[in-house]
Formats: sequence, C-alpha cells, structure tokens
Amino acid sequence: MKIGRVYSWKKVVAQLLLLVVPAVVFFFYLLWDVNRFYTILQNDWVKQGCYFTTGIVVANVFYSWRFRFVSTAGVLFLFYYAIYKYIGSISVGEFDSFYLSVQFIVFTFLFSLGWLAGFGFSRSRYFTIFWSVLLLVIEIVVVSKTADVKINVLISAFAPVLAYSFYTIYTAELIRNMNEEETRFGWFITKRITGFLLVLLVMFLVVFTVFKNDFKAIEKEWGNAQANYNKGDGKSENMNQQDKDGGISNKDQTKLSGSLSKDKQLVFVAKLDNYFDDGKTPNPLYFTSCYYTKFDTLTQTFERDSVMPYNDLFEPDPSRIPLYFSKWDSTVIKNTFATKNRKVVTADIYKVLLSANRYLAPSTAFFCQPMSVPKEYKEQYKSTYRAKMWVSDLNSAYFIYNPAGNKMLEQFQNVRFNKLREVKKITGPDKQFMDYYTYMPLNDEYKKITALAKQITKDAATPIDKMIAIRDYFLSKDEFKQPLFKYSDNPGIPGMPSANKLTYFLFENKKGYCAYYAGATLFMLRSLGIPSRVAAGYLTVDRSSKNPGWYWFYANQAHAWTQVYFQGYGWIDFDTTVPDMNTHQASQPDGTPPTNMPQTYLVADGEVTELDTVKKQIKMMVEKLLYHDKDYDTKMVKEMTIDVSMATITADTGAVKLSAIQKGNHITAVSYAEALKNNVATAKDSLGSIITKLPLPVPIDEIKVMSKEELKKLKKKTKEQASEPVDWIKIGWIILLIISACVILLFLSPWITWQYLNAKAKRMNEQKAYNSYRASLYYLNQLGYSRDSKGPQEYSYLIDAKFNTPVRVLSSDKGNDKNLHYVSFYSFSNLYQKVKYGSLPLTETEQKMVNEFYKPFIKQVRSKTKLKTRFSKFLNIYNTIHYFTQPK
Amino acid sequence: MEEQNVQLEQTLGNIQKLVDNVETVIRGKRMQIQYVLTALLAKGHILMEDNPGTGKTVMAKTLAKSIAGEKGGEASFKRIQFTPDLLPMDLIGSHIFDDVKKEFVFKKGPLFCNLLLADEINRASPKVQSALLECMAEQQITMGETTYPLEKLFFTIATQNPVEMEGTYPLPAAQLDRFFIKIYFGYVDEETELNIYKDYLGIQNNLDTIKQVLSMKEILFLQEQTEKVFIHDEIITGVRNIVRDTRKHPDIVLGASTRSGITFLKCLKAFALVNGRTFVTEDDLNQLTSAVLDHRMIFRNKEAKQKALSSILSKELDRLSKLKITTNANTYNQGLL
Repeated sequence: MKIGRVYSWKKVVAQLLLLVVPAVVFFFYLLWDVNRFYTILQNDWVKQGCYFTTGIVVANVFYSWRFRFVSTAGVLFLFYYAIYKYIGSISVGEFDSFYLSVQFIVFTFLFSLGWLAGFGFSRSRYFTIFWSVLLLVIEIVVVSKTADVKINVLISAFAPVLAYSFYTIYTAELIRNMNEEETRFGWFITKRITGFLLVLLVMFLVVFTVFKNDFKAIEKEWGNAQANYNKGDGKSENMNQQDKDGGISNKDQTKLSGSLSKDKQLVFVAKLDNYFDDGKTPNPLYFTSCYYTKFDTLTQTFERDSVMPYNDLFEPDPSRIPLYFSKWDSTVIKNTFATKNRKVVTADIYKVLLSANRYLAPSTAFFCQPMSVPKEYKEQYKSTYRAKMWVSDLNSAYFIYNPAGNKMLEQFQNVRFNKLREVKKITGPDKQFMDYYTYMPLNDEYKKITALAKQITKDAATPIDKMIAIRDYFLSKDEFKQPLFKYSDNPGIPGMPSANKLTYFLFENKKGYCAYYAGATLFMLRSLGIPSRVAAGYLTVDRSSKNPGWYWFYANQAHAWTQVYFQGYGWIDFDTTVPDMNTHQASQPDGTPPTNMPQTYLVADGEVTELDTVKKQIKMMVEKLLYHDKDYDTKMVKEMTIDVSMATITADTGAVKLSAIQKGNHITAVSYAEALKNNVATAKDSLGSIITKLPLPVPIDEIKVMSKEELKKLKKKTKEQASEPVDWIKIGWIILLIISACVILLFLSPWITWQYLNAKAKRMNEQKAYNSYRASLYYLNQLGYSRDSKGPQEYSYLIDAKFNTPVRVLSSDKGNDKNLHYVSFYSFSNLYQKVKYGSLPLTETEQKMVNEFYKPFIKQVRSKTKLKTRFSKFLNIYNTIHYFTQPK
Repeated sequence: MEEQNVQLEQTLGNIQKLVDNVETVIRGKRMQIQYVLTALLAKGHILMEDNPGTGKTVMAKTLAKSIAGEKGGEASFKRIQFTPDLLPMDLIGSHIFDDVKKEFVFKKGPLFCNLLLADEINRASPKVQSALLECMAEQQITMGETTYPLEKLFFTIATQNPVEMEGTYPLPAAQLDRFFIKIYFGYVDEETELNIYKDYLGIQNNLDTIKQVLSMKEILFLQEQTEKVFIHDEIITGVRNIVRDTRKHPDIVLGASTRSGITFLKCLKAFALVNGRTFVTEDDLNQLTSAVLDHRMIFRNKEAKQKALSSILSKELDRLSKLKITTNANTYNQGLL
C-alpha cells in the first residue's frame, strides 16, 4: 500500500522552517516564563521544550502524508498507555512511581500539545488562529500571576505574543497559497526567513534601546553579585540579601525552608528617641523594612505586595535625597488609621553594611533626612539619615514576652493589654481592608490551623486575649515540663517535599525560626478574623546601659514578626517567636556611638558647572538651598562658587577623592563654617539674594556626590512614580474611543477619498482632464460600476447606457451665442484619451467639453442613484480597496 | 503637408465608409472588419479561424469588391481552396512551353493578385504552406532563377478550421508569425442572426451591388501613413510590459517574441487609423492584445489560454488608466499632422 502525500516536501520544509521553528522558539520562551511562576513543571524547561519540539516536528512531517487524525491519535494514545503500564511495572516503591508518573504526565501533555500543533500547522487553515488565541490565554494567565501590573510589564508580556501571532497567521496563509510549482523555492524560503530575522532584529533593537538602562543595571548587578549569586538558593534561607552595591538589607520575600543562615556582621547602628514614661528607660522598637502581606502557598514564600490596601510603608531612597534635605509622606500617617496613643519619634540611623539606598525605621515611618556622618566616624559609617515615625505608645520590643520580673515592664504590659481589651471586635476601615488582611488560603491544611487557633483561643473573649492565648500557646510547656515549641535555625523539612511546612511546624516538628512563628501566628490570627500581616526588619536588642537609646544591629538580628491591626491604635507589633534556648550567644558589646553632629548653616544642592582642582574651587548652579534650616527651593537657579579645600567628599559608596567630582555631577554641599553663623537671612530673602550675601567662595565642609547616571535614574523614577496610578477604566475608555474612531474613519475613508478627488477634479489646471476622469471613475466604482478589465470605450459606453449621460454642456463659441453641446461619458473618455496619448492639442470646443463635463456628469449620475443606495455603497470599503489595488 | 492632411482626413473618412460598406453584407461583425483592415493597413495578413459558414469568405469577397483597382476595376481577388493534394505550383504558377515563341513562359498563378483568400489553409500540406511563406513575408515569388515581385498591395486573408478537426496540418510557428492578426469569427448574436435570415436576399444583392469606396492608391497611402501614427511612450512601455509578462507568466509555456512586439506596435498604429484616430489609446491596446498575441504563444492548457493574457492585459490597463497626463518630449515633432 502506498500512502499519498498531502504536500510536496517543499511545503513541508517551508512549514518546518517558517512555522514550526518559530513556534518551538516561542514555546521555549513560554515554558521558561511559566516555569518561573509554577512549580508543577519545576525547573527543567529545556527538557520540556524538547518534548514539545519532538511532538510538533514528528507530527508535522507525519501528517504531510495522508494519515487520518483520529486513527493515528488513537494509536498514539495506545502508545502512551503502554508506556504508562510499563512505568508502573518497572518503578520500585510508591515515591518512585509517583515521581515517574508525574514526569510522564508532563511528557504526555507537552508531546501531545506538540503533536496537535504539528497536525494543525500541517492540515488546518484556521489552526494558527486557535494557536495564537491559546498562547494569548496562557500569557494572560501568566501575567495575572505577576504581582505588579504596570504598563511596561504588560507590553513586554504581550508584545512578543502578538507579534508572533501576526507572524504565524500571515506565514501560514502564505505557505498555504504557495505555488508548489514555484521553481525558485530556495529564494522563496530565503526571502521569508530573512524578512523574519529582520523583523526580529528590529524588535530586538527597539527593545534594547528602550530598556537599555535596565540591561545595564542588570549587567552591573550580575557583575557585582556574581560571587554570592547562588548563596540563597537551595536548602538554606537567609533573612538578609546582598545588594548590588555590596550592602545588605532585608529581602523582599522570605521562604520557609529547612535552615536559616545567619551572619554576625554589624549592619547598622541607631539612636532611637523612644523612652518610657519615666523619660530615662529606653523603649526599644523593632526596625521595620517591609511588610509581607502575601503568601504564596505553592512555594510557601512570604512576599511583598505592591498593591496592599492603604499602603502605610514609607520607602524613600536616602541616597537619592540631597544631604540635609528631607522627604516625607503624610499619607502614611493617614493610612495607619491610628488616632489613639500615637506620637512622633525620631531615630538616627548610621549605616555600616546596610545598603545606601535602603530605608529602615520603626513602624510607621513617614520622614527621611539624610545627614552627614561626623568626620571622626567617616571610616566607620557609610552614611546616616534621620527618620521620624508615627509610633504607638503601646509598641515596644518588650511587648512580646513576659517582662522577666521587671516591674515597670510588667506594668506597661498590663496597661497596654487593658487598653487593647477595650477593642471587643476588630473592624477595619472597610471591607476591602478586612478581606485583604484576613485572607486565608482555601486548603485542608489551613483548616487545620483554623481548628487549632479556635481551640487555643476558646476561652478568650477579646482579640487581645486571643493574641495572648496564642502567645502563651507557643510558650507553653509539655507534660515533661519542656517547652512545647523550640527555636531552631535548622528546623528541617517534612518528609514529603510538597507538604505544608506551616502545619508541619505547628503539629509535628514544633521547631522553627522567626518566619515559622510569624507565619503560623499570622494564619491563626487571620483564621480568627483578626487582620494581621508579617513585618520584616530587625530585632532591636538593648545591650548597653552606657548609651541609653543607642542600639546595635547585627545581620543575625534580621527578623520577621506579626503585626496586628486594632482600630484606633493602628498596627501594633506582635512577636511570637520563642527565645533561642540552646545558643546562649554572648551579646556583642556595643561600640561607642558617633556624637558631635555639627550644626549646619548652609546646604546647597545643584549641578557642577566648573571645576578647578588646583584652587580647589567649584562653581555650581544652586537649585535648592537650605540656609539656617530654612528651605529655599525655587525654580530659579543661581551660580555659586564654593571652596572645597577643607571638604570631605562622599558618595553612596563612602568617602571619595575630589577627582571623583566631574562637571555635570549633581552635588550637595554642606557648610558648618562659623563665618555663616551670624550671616542671618531675613524673611524677604530669596535663594538669589542669600547667595549674593554670602562670602565667596563659600567654605564647604562636606560634599555628597550623585553621579549623572544615578541622577538620570532618579529623574526617571520620579517621573514613573508621578505617572504611577493607572486608571484602567480611563485607559479602557480611551482605547475604546480610539478603536471606534478608527472604525468610523475606516468607514468614512471612501467618502473622504471621494471628497478629495472631487475637490481636485473641480479645480481647473492642466491635469483637469485626468482629475475629472479619475474622480468619475472613482465615483462610479464606488457605486458598484467598476471598470475591471474593460477598455475605456467599452466602459464609458456601458456607463452612458446605464445613466443616460449625454449631459448638456454650455459653451460659448467665440463670444457669440451660446452653444449647447451634448457630451457623453463616451466622448469624454475619447477626448481624455486624446489628451493623454495624442500628439495634438484639443480644439477649443473640445477643451471646453473636457472642462465642463465633470460637474453635470456627476450630477446626472447622482440623480440616477437613490440616496440610500449611494449611502450604502459609500460605506463599502471593499470597493475602494478594489479601486486602488491592481487586478491579480 | 497641408495637402496631405486633407487627403488623410478624407481617406480616414473613407475607411469608416468601407467598414460601413462591408457591414451591409457582413452583419454584426464590425470588430472583425476592423481587425481585417488593421492587418491590411499594417501591411500584414490575417488569419481567421472558425467553423465553416460563419462568413469568412464573404468577408474577403466584400472587401475585395469595395476596393477600387488601379485601372478602374475592382481590386483583383483570388480565392484558393486549400486541400491536402494541393501543390506549390498551383499557387505560384508554372512555366509552360509556348509553341509560338518556342520557349518556356511563366504562367502566373493565383498568388499574383491584390487580395488572396486562402481558404482552409491548414488543410494543405506543409510544402504548400511554406510556398506561401515567402509571398507573405517578402512580397515576391522566386521560381527557378527568376524572382517575380507580387502586386504592391498584396493581402492574404487565410481561414482555417479549428485545429482539432480531421485532416488538418497545424500551421508552423513561422507562418503563424506572418499573420499579424488572428481572429475568431464566431457566430452573430440572436437578433442579428434573425435579421440576416429575414434579409438574406438583400444581403446577396448588397454583395453584388457594393460600392467601391476606397481606391488602391488610398490604401497604399494609408499603409504609408500608418507608420506615422503617433504612439505615446507610455503605450510603448505598456506593449513592452505585456510582452515581457507573457514570458514570465507561469501558465504560458512560450511567450511572445520581440518581433511580436514590433508587429503589435504596427497593428496598434493601424488600428488607430482604422478607428479614425491619429494616436494610439488604451482601447487599442485592450482590443488588439489578444488578437495579435494569442496565436504566437503556447499555453499550458485551454483554461490558461483564456485567462493568462487577459490577466496580464488588465494589469497593464490598470497601470495605464492611473497614469497622469504626460507629454512626450518629442510629441509635436513626431506627430502625424
């Protein structure tokens, strides 16, 4: 038996090269993308891609013979079944067979998908459309998984899919219509592939130019972080992350894992102005970096969510704020909804290892002012800033546990609990808030947590009592008087890799580090309807009695804990992590705190215009000025000469030399000079007038440099932030408006074209005959009388018959009496041909006939066609296209 | 010059009269008559293909009768019925021994005439066909060592039956090329046919009493003037495009040659004259393309024969119709009038 072919090998090759290869490439991309968000297919996207590739190539070649789909698919299914049975027979043990079958299912799914696609490309004309829609749906699902929906994310996600879809549909049609007899087949393929590559190249170039800075940033990041790139991977989890500038900070997410690695490096030092009522005893507060409001149940990871309701996280980049200038955000205070027992507290943070661009402060911070580190401490501390917080009286790092016999703390604890007991039931500002912060994943595992929480808190009446009950549960002892829960950096993982680590922690292992306690507490609270979230930051430990209010923070103090919302009081820290009993680490001795912050008289911010390294003078354009703590920020820019011979110069990375400053750099110059002390500004003074008053060159003690690149980024960022709130409904309307405008324009285009041609035809010039003829032809064509392959004579003859168009034309001969001529379209056509191809000029009469013909002719045709017909015919864009395109 | 113009205008009018004249006999075939005249003015020959009884012979006869001969009489008209056993000598003539003069005298055959109707040309053997070739191409006959020139006006109207019919020899490509135009006569439409039946006696009468409207001299004059008909550069480009497109078209096995292109141009000019114009238009192109080029090309199949050329033509017509009015650089120098 011989099986005939559907296509010649040429078509198959064309399909393979032009459809299958791009599909495979695209699918690889898609799989890679999907693998980032889903764990079921975990990791090996190359292998998965190969399954798909095999499927699509085999099917495409296979179905170029006349095989039927149903029967062959049946055979394929039988194969699958046989392999499945075979796997069952060879696998040893339950886990093995489970693992193998999962692998096999993945293989089957992808291979079948490839097979279907191969069949579709080979046989079905409309498959490419389904295929494009399918890919779009997949992309939509993938995008919906990403946390922050921004316009550039959407574009980067959809642009390739859309481009690919257009390409595929176009190419499939092209191949379908390909002439199999085409002799220059190689040329056909080469042309298309070259075109495809060119399009790709253009797209790549566009993408590269648009995202050039991002690429550079990534490159830089990789360059810096290569050494510890994989550090956090695998089994061990770290609460800190290594930033690209070499500093460390809290991570944007924390995964529940088998062990926690800790370092003992000093991260930062802080002076916190928070004391108990006696005014002497320092009241330490946890330093918050961010909130984890989202929990990915699949990867069991706590994540940040950029769309959390009533965002009360203040996240400035201190390295981007000019020295001594401040930035604050009052919406943060508003969003805390805290009206009772709140006060403003100040903290000075001296960074050691903490990244320059990070901002840490006790919750809820709303103010940031970068300061300069006193000279003597320059070596020790990279930079410093002042933070102000809207702090609850009820907050304290001591809140957490039994205050260890300290009377005052016990009392504080009781006062606090009593106050919070007044809140009988927690109600958020609105439903969205409550829904968001009491969200529980729907899963049996979490039902178990709910049950446990209910059981523990069955005797508690108020929310705070429930919280105390939960705290006590973690601190309770078992029947052997041993603590029920232990702290451990290496709690281990459950036997089943996919098992829920929280329930494992709560019910079996009962060992874990902060994230476990925070996570378990979070879900217990949420199951009770108490809005809560996980906060990440640094644990504050008061180790020194020498310097009250000063705290030292080491890398191993990175911490996660729970925050609970009480209406009126706002978010309050609530840590349930039990103390580490096993490692009695010797508390690191606190160093000596930096003191002697000098008084600043002048801070100028602006761009360097001239640089004299010999005289050590700089000319700068001052954009912002802080003089005697008064802020002069105007649009006016004024030049000022400064003397930098005494100045210490710093950048984000620490102290630098004068040579690091370049023309065009943005600098902040600070002066402590006594000479300025008595030079006080009056109320009338402006930026300009102050500068003229100053002794020039102004002696400068400190300069902070912002490089051009960073400045650019900053500007871009502020711009982005400005355009941040995306009104989707508005965008939707605009898109709708644009689309409808396009549709209307499309339908109007025949009419517009006609108006254009008509106007041209009425004008009197040497192309009059041509314009008249063209306009007439267009008008007739639009009304459905196209010329097609008829010659001008034949056509005009038909038109004359149809519209009865020997029209009357008035023309006066040599000034005498008026003559009447009847000009038909036929004779006009002939005259036109004469004008166009003849060697003779027209006679005067003929010229008149040509000139006068157009208007009465159109009038006649119009009168012979009903308005309704004309209207509908003029909506027919097909006729217009037909007019302008060449006949095939 | 002026005089010539007057003469030209007159003769152009006479051509219209001739067409009308012939039409009194051959009803409803104006187009075909124009084609015949086109071939005549272009100094070519015409091949008519159709079934017997469609009026081919009558057409030739009427035409001959309408043209006044040199010495008062009508143009000399000869008709040869081609058969498989026809010999070249039957056409050309032969040497006959003159008893009186005691020498061989050349007895002219039927080719020595103004208007030759070669009926059913494809029934003759290739030998005869090739004899005809020289006459048509060179306007002369070579017999032995002597070359005899033909009449100044020598015009062949050949008819042929469709090639599929039995007992026919297909014409060689070289000979087909001599025929500037090949037309299909076709049947007349219903109405005309009814008129013909009603008036067949009248038609016969017309044929007998037909007027001579054009003199041989005038035709020779027109033939001379044909060369001077103005042809716009764009039309020449159009001809070039069409000819080249036929070579590229996938459905055409053998495209048109350059000589076909030249013939085409000659025919276009003649056709313009026949239509009373002194310049060539798109219409001429539209109406002549298939008549001039069809029989010179070999198509892949029958379907292709119908479509290929018309698609090429309509593409070119589309291009021409959208052109703006431009004037040739040498318009007024080259012109006829």
